[in-house]
Amino acid sequence: MKQIQILGTGCPKCKKLAENAEVAAKALGIEYQLEKVTDIDRIMGFGVMMTPALVVDGQVKAAGKVPSADEIRKMLT
Amino acid sequence: MTPCYGSEKRKPKVPSCCGAESGKNILLYACSGGANVAEIADRAARELMSAGCGTMFCLAGIGAGIEGMIQTAHDADLNLILDGCPMDCAKKIFDRAGLTNCVQVKVTDLGIEKKKGVRAADEQVRRVVAKAKEMLTEQ
Repeated sequence: MKQIQILGTGCPKCKKLAENAEVAAKALGIEYQLEKVTDIDRIMGFGVMMTPALVVDGQVKAAGKVPSADEIRKMLT
Repeated sequence: MTPCYGSEKRKPKVPSCCGAESGKNILLYACSGGANVAEIADRAARELMSAGCGTMFCLAGIGAGIEGMIQTAHDADLNLILDGCPMDCAKKIFDRAGLTNCVQVKVTDLGIEKKKGVRAADEQVRRVVAKAKEMLTEQ
């Protein structure tokens, strides 16, 4: 199961990133678990300075931007 | 101190802002070695951050290969590297990490001599800040 984490404090961009990630995961038909990480200390623990950020299976895939669902699909495969 | 990019002041990006502000994400790095030129680079980076030109970020983290930090640098619009001397340590760290979205300012290129045991002078810091702003404006 893919572990998808959205790092951000809950602004519209964070929500958009979560939406795109869900669209991408569903399009791929994979099992996934999505977690929104809003705690700044946890976010900083990933080494991320700019949010929103996308983490897949513990790896930071994007930081400070909102990749499209198509882009995220590639990150999930 | 005037902000970069004309009259529009850009605030540093921090995790809590969630990228809600418009404008480029610019990250600033200083070599932060032991000589005067490194102190100048470090102070210049902090001045630039205070002026709203970008956010100072952790060069050591890039060098250590911290994945999230490298990804953050990779996804930034621009990384401004302040190296103290021709050793180009900070730039080489970026090269090793495969990061190409960067520009470099070298303190010794601005007529400042590298010396051990000498503190940075305010005028030297201002010279580096001015050069960095010039480079940012060109981007």
